[in-house]
Amino acid sequence: MKHSNSLVAAIALGAATVITLTSCAGTTTEPGDEAASVLRLGVVTPLTSFAPWEASWANQSPYLQAVYDTLLTAEPDGTVTEGLATAWEYDDAKTQLTLTLREGVEFSDGSALTAGVVAEQLIKFRDGTSENASLLRSVEGVTAPDGATVVVTLAEADPGLLGSLTKNAGLVGAEAMFADADAQTSPIGSGPYVLDEGDTVIGSTYVFTAKDDYWDADAVHYDEIVINLYGDATSLMNAVKGGQVDASASQTPTQIPEAEAAGFTANIRESDYTGFLLVDRDGTLNPALGDVRVRQAINHALDREALVEALAAGYGVPTTQIISPSNPGYDEALDDAYPYDVDKAKQLLAEAGYADGFTLVMPSNDFVPESEFAIYADQLAQIGITVEWEKVGDDLFGKMLGGAYAAFSMLLETDTSMWNSMQFSMLPWSPWNPFKVEDPKLVAWAAELATAEGDRADEIAVEVNEYIVEQAWYAPSHRLESAFFTDADTQVELQVDNAYPYLWNIQPAS
Amino acid sequence: MPSFILRRLAAGVTTLLTLCVLTFFLLYLGAADTARNIVGQTASEEIVERKKAELGLDRPLIVQFADWAGSALTGDLGRSWFTGQEVTDALVGRLPVTLSLTIGAVLLSAIVAITIGAIAAGRRGWADRTVQVLSVAGSAVPGFLIALFLAVVFAIDLGWFPATGYIRPSDSVVGWLSTITLPVIALSVGAIAGVAQQVRGSMIDALRLDYVRTLRSRGLPHRRVVYRHVLRNASGPALSTLGLQFVVMFGGAVVVEQVFALPGLGQAAVSATSQGDIPLVMGVVIITAVIVVLVNLTVDLLQAWLNPKVRLS
Repeated sequence: MKHSNSLVAAIALGAATVITLTSCAGTTTEPGDEAASVLRLGVVTPLTSFAPWEASWANQSPYLQAVYDTLLTAEPDGTVTEGLATAWEYDDAKTQLTLTLREGVEFSDGSALTAGVVAEQLIKFRDGTSENASLLRSVEGVTAPDGATVVVTLAEADPGLLGSLTKNAGLVGAEAMFADADAQTSPIGSGPYVLDEGDTVIGSTYVFTAKDDYWDADAVHYDEIVINLYGDATSLMNAVKGGQVDASASQTPTQIPEAEAAGFTANIRESDYTGFLLVDRDGTLNPALGDVRVRQAINHALDREALVEALAAGYGVPTTQIISPSNPGYDEALDDAYPYDVDKAKQLLAEAGYADGFTLVMPSNDFVPESEFAIYADQLAQIGITVEWEKVGDDLFGKMLGGAYAAFSMLLETDTSMWNSMQFSMLPWSPWNPFKVEDPKLVAWAAELATAEGDRADEIAVEVNEYIVEQAWYAPSHRLESAFFTDADTQVELQVDNAYPYLWNIQPAS
Repeated sequence: MPSFILRRLAAGVTTLLTLCVLTFFLLYLGAADTARNIVGQTASEEIVERKKAELGLDRPLIVQFADWAGSALTGDLGRSWFTGQEVTDALVGRLPVTLSLTIGAVLLSAIVAITIGAIAAGRRGWADRTVQVLSVAGSAVPGFLIALFLAVVFAIDLGWFPATGYIRPSDSVVGWLSTITLPVIALSVGAIAGVAQQVRGSMIDALRLDYVRTLRSRGLPHRRVVYRHVLRNASGPALSTLGLQFVVMFGGAVVVEQVFALPGLGQAAVSATSQGDIPLVMGVVIITAVIVVLVNLTVDLLQAWLNPKVRLS
């Protein structure tokens, strides 16, 4: 019997080991005691870094907004308002911005917010490895003439700057972070919450505890915020249905009916657009694309209503413009500039000398379902364009942005300002203009837009949009509708210029 | 015995070294643009280059490996390229979750599989046939389907358990049990099926042996013969199968942790591999390999203890 008993003993020892080991670390998603109010948020994007100069934004904003303040903030409609800076002013040439800092703000390590810290922060962001470091590319220098004043000098006027300072470019961390090896994981901010490092499992669950003395107490609605990352569509929906989150971003439009059936409200906003970028507008790689009639033909070939059904389960708005309704350049009429018309498309191709069609090589990848490429190829085949998909792996973006393809299908963000949209993909120096196509009209409009104000700025925005639609620089299919799910106890106000609602706009339902 | 242990440990170290070299270079072949993955799709090429330089990815591959291996030998596994967290911290934080699942599943499998295997062998008839059918079904159904089924029925529909998340036993033992019960069951089904078959088979073989007849002829009750003597002799193969199942479960934990959103090693392995986060993947590989080597060694030692014949061979 001795041996059997040893086996039992070994098993018991194993069990004891588990209990001992598990008591060392881990995480909790427990709501906590009843007295403390807890908001459990679901996110679908991991956090890149807590170091402000490496920070991303969009879906990563809730992690950062919990612990940091930004120099300026934005209302849900995008209007720029006070943040750490209470006043801001441009000089006449709009190349010098003076910010006045809020008094008495402290970081979580007890150090004070000073103009010197802000100045160093801005330069670190500009020279850092944030995805959006280029938001500050026009910044030439930053000085701190006194403890509460920051002067930003620009190489050229940048109408996007104030908006950028409401996002990751405006995050301010304490000076102690600048040389800290743990800056990526240990934030020291002046924001409403502090990261509870003991209960946090990096890359999975983040726990934030409210500060007692936050300067903007009205913006704090919960004692604790728990952010759970769901890397898997199934586990996200299980968490929603099982009530493990109070509010969550959605991963795919197909989750919307499921979440609604589970009693959640799907707060819908139009976000990114999807479709083709016809980037070889000079016909360098594929001469056919150099002809505007060919690009227009591709636009007429897309049956957008069918694409919305097939690719987005009906959750999308068919469009032929890449500019979204939150941008002053938006023109509703341009949502239908190229109606689905196979005959018209063929006629345009014939006029351009491609009556027999042509071959278009485009990249396909693993993170979009194979069926999507088949549907696109099928639509283009109807007008005689043969699509050859080239399977591309992790180097997809490098290849696309490096000019390896004359056109490609893509899902891209939209912007609330035409100036930013132009910088992103329409100008010779834009990253998403891989062939560096230079259109003098667009360059001139961009220059004018840099300092234009009020109605004139809006006029230019509309003119630019009309022009690129007419020139068929893109062949968009639809604007995707993304959802932010909230349960019955939670209410939210969405942000027009951000994928994730801003933290302080998620509140207990009244 | 000491030389036996030493030989096994030496083999384990060799396996570990081979694994490290293979994993490192294979990951490099697969992940062409890690820096781009880290900084994001909208970043300019200039920012991507800056990130490459910061991580030392612009150096020759062999230099990068030597650098990594040199630090690893001193116990420094580096930092995750994506989160900046020290790899050892990440492993220490996540290992308990995965161990909770796998050890829990081994215990559950052992108890259930040995019980039903012994019943099947001892009683035969309908009990045996039922166990046989269930075993085949249990090994045929993929783990993720079982996990999904359990989540939908017992967490979402019935609400008995949380559908996702993990609670540490130090925060609440009851909470901890509630978060690991479904994942442990999901992980156990395949193992129970395999081990029960093993126990049944070896017990039926043992029941035919002479000593059983001798024991019976002495008038020992059937129950005592089966559950004391025969089961003990049949426990060796069952133990081997359980050891093997533990290793299989470490792999199965990847899927189960994804479905139940548990912050374990499996979840880290999935995200780190898809992102090309080489330091973290290497850390997971090392710790998994060490555990597998130790488990195999433990099983061998237990076998030798249970059955002296093993020691001689």
